[in-house]
Amino acid sequence: MLKLKDIRTFYGNIMALKGVSMDISEGEIITLIGANGAGKSTTLMSICGIVPPRSGEILFMGKPIQHMKPDRIVSLGISQVPEGRRIFPYLTVLENLDMGAFLRNDKENVKRDLEYIFELFPILAERRYQTGGTLSGGEQQMLAISRALMAKPRLLLLDEPSLGLAPLVVKQIFDIITKVNSEQGTTIFLVEQNANLALKVAHRGYVMENGRITLSDNAASLLSNEDVKKAYLGL
Amino acid sequence: MNTIKELKKSFLIALWFMFLTFPIMVIKVNTVEQTIDWRWNRLAMVGIFSFFASWIWRYLLQRKEMGQKRAEESETPTLTFQQRVLQNPKFTRPALVVICIFAAIFPFYFSMYQVNIMTTALIYVILGLGLNIVVGLAGLLDLGYVAFYAVGAYSYALLNVHFGMGFWACLPIGAGLAMLFGIVLGFPVLRLRGDYLAIVTLGFGEIIRLILENWNEFSFGPSGIANIPRPGFFGIKMSIHQSLIYIYFIMVAMVIFTIFVVRRLQDSRIGRAWIALREDEVACQATGIDKTKTKLSAFALGATWAGMGGVVFAAKTTFINPASFTIWESIMILCIVVLGGMGSIVGVIFGAGILILLPEYLRAFSEYRMLMFAAALVLMMVFRPHGIISAVRRTYQFEGSPEKKASS
Repeated sequence: MLKLKDIRTFYGNIMALKGVSMDISEGEIITLIGANGAGKSTTLMSICGIVPPRSGEILFMGKPIQHMKPDRIVSLGISQVPEGRRIFPYLTVLENLDMGAFLRNDKENVKRDLEYIFELFPILAERRYQTGGTLSGGEQQMLAISRALMAKPRLLLLDEPSLGLAPLVVKQIFDIITKVNSEQGTTIFLVEQNANLALKVAHRGYVMENGRITLSDNAASLLSNEDVKKAYLGL
Repeated sequence: MNTIKELKKSFLIALWFMFLTFPIMVIKVNTVEQTIDWRWNRLAMVGIFSFFASWIWRYLLQRKEMGQKRAEESETPTLTFQQRVLQNPKFTRPALVVICIFAAIFPFYFSMYQVNIMTTALIYVILGLGLNIVVGLAGLLDLGYVAFYAVGAYSYALLNVHFGMGFWACLPIGAGLAMLFGIVLGFPVLRLRGDYLAIVTLGFGEIIRLILENWNEFSFGPSGIANIPRPGFFGIKMSIHQSLIYIYFIMVAMVIFTIFVVRRLQDSRIGRAWIALREDEVACQATGIDKTKTKLSAFALGATWAGMGGVVFAAKTTFINPASFTIWESIMILCIVVLGGMGSIVGVIFGAGILILLPEYLRAFSEYRMLMFAAALVLMMVFRPHGIISAVRRTYQFEGSPEKKASS
C-alpha cells in the first residue's frame, strides 16, 4: 500500500533520514520504534508531505506522492495525527471533528462516521460542545485520533499517541486503535516511544536508529529480540 | 475583600504619584522675578486624584476577577449579559428594525456635515469588516491594509482621469485590482506568521504609499488628483447635497452587502478553514486544508473590501493624495477591529462608530484625542480583552439539537 524507497529528508543541511525504505501492506498495523531523534517523526512528516524528502520515492497505491502538497496527500486517504495532539483549542469538539471531514462532501456518510466515533469514544459525545482546549490530555488525544478518522483514511499515521498520558488511558487508546484496524480495515502506521506497548498491538515493526532502519521483523520476534529488549524495552 | 490593605495600597500609590509629579506639578520657576512658586495645593490634588483613581481601578479589577471565578465555578456555561442580549431575538429584531429605519431617514433629518461623517464611518465599517477577515478570522496580522484602500481609490481616480470611466464601472475594477494586490502580497508572505508577517505587510503598505508619492508621471505625486466625479445616477444631475445623500445610501447598501457576505463566509467551508488556520497550522494541514489557497483567499477577500472602500472614498472626497493612505490609517482600521472585537461583525461596527464618530463629536477635546485613544485601548485590554463585543461563535451551537449540527 505504502512504499518508501530510500528517502532522504533534510532539515536545512542536516540529514535527518539517511535513506529509509519501508513497505506497508493494506490492513496492517505497523510500528516504527526508536530512540529520541532517530527520525521517527520525520519519517511521518515526510510521508504526509509537511517536510518533503529531498530524494527517494514514496509510493501510495503505486502512485508517487513525495512531491505532492499535504492537502493533496490527505485527499488520497492518508491522515495524520500529529505529535502532541494539536487539536484546535478554541473550536468545540464537534467543530474539531467537522474540520476532520473538511475534504468530504458526502454528508450522510460523514454523519454515520460521526456516530461511529461517538461510539468509539463516548466521552467525546458527552463533551461535544466543549472547546477542545478544555479537554484533558487523554480526551484531546482521542479527539485528535477521531479528527483524523473523520477523513475516512485508508492509512492512518499516528505520532506518539501515548505521549504524556496515564497508562490506563494509553491502554484504552491502543485498544481503540486495534479496534479501528480490525473493524474498518484501516491500515495503521504507529510511531511510538513506548516500544513494548506498540509491539504488542502491531503486526510488524521497524526499528530506527540515527535516520536509518536497522531492524525489521514481525512484532512478536522483535519483542523477543535480545538487542531490542536491551535497547528499547529496558529488560 | 481586605479593605484596609486595599486602602493602604492606594495610599502608597498616591504618595508615589505625588513624588513623581512633584517637579512638574508643584515647582514653578518664575524666570522674570527669579523666584520659585510652590504650588502645594496641586500636590494635594494629585494625591487625592490618584488615591481615588487607584482605588476604583483596584475595585473594578477585583470585581472582574470575582466574576471570572464565578463563571469558572458554575457547571453550565454562563452567557455574559452582552451575549444574552445579542442572541435574544426579542431584542435583536426590534433593534434591527430601528437601526434600519434610522439609517433610512438619517440623511433627511440631519445636516450635511452629519451625513458626511456618517458616510466616513460607514467606509470604515467596510474596511474594518474586510480587515476582520484577515486578522480576526484567519489570524494574519496585516499592518499594510491601507495599501489596498489606496489601490481602490487610485484605480478609480486614474481610470477616471485617463479614460473618463465612471464610478459604477470602477467599483468592480477597483475591487478586482485590490484583490490582485492582495494575492501579490500574499505570495511572498505565505511562510510568515505573527510579528514577521506584520513587519512585511507594514513595509508593503509603505511601498505603495511611496510609489504613489514619488512616481509623478503615474500618480501625479504628492499633489494628488482633484475633481474626481461623484457617483452618477443614470445621468441625473445632482447638487452636492443630493449626491452626498446618494453616496450615503450607496455606503449603507455596501455595508449591508458586506455584512451578508462576511456572515456567509464565516459559516462556510472556507471560513472554517480560516479559523482552523488561525488556531494551528500543522493540524490544519493534517486535516487536508490547502494552506496556500486558504491564506491567499483571506488576503484577497480582505483586500477586495478595502478596494471598494477606496473607490467610494475617492468618489466622496473628490480629491485624493498619498497623505490619506499613511500607516496611521492602517493602525486606525486595526484598532477598529481589535477594539470592537476580533471576529465579531457587530463589534467591528461598534468599533468603527466609536473610533470615527467620537473624535468628530469631541472636537473640543481634539488635543487630547491620542491620549484618550490610548487610555481607551489600555482600559479595554484590561477589562474586555476580547473587544467590546467579543465574537459569539463559541456559544452559538448550544441552541438546537446535536443531530442538526452533526449533519451540517
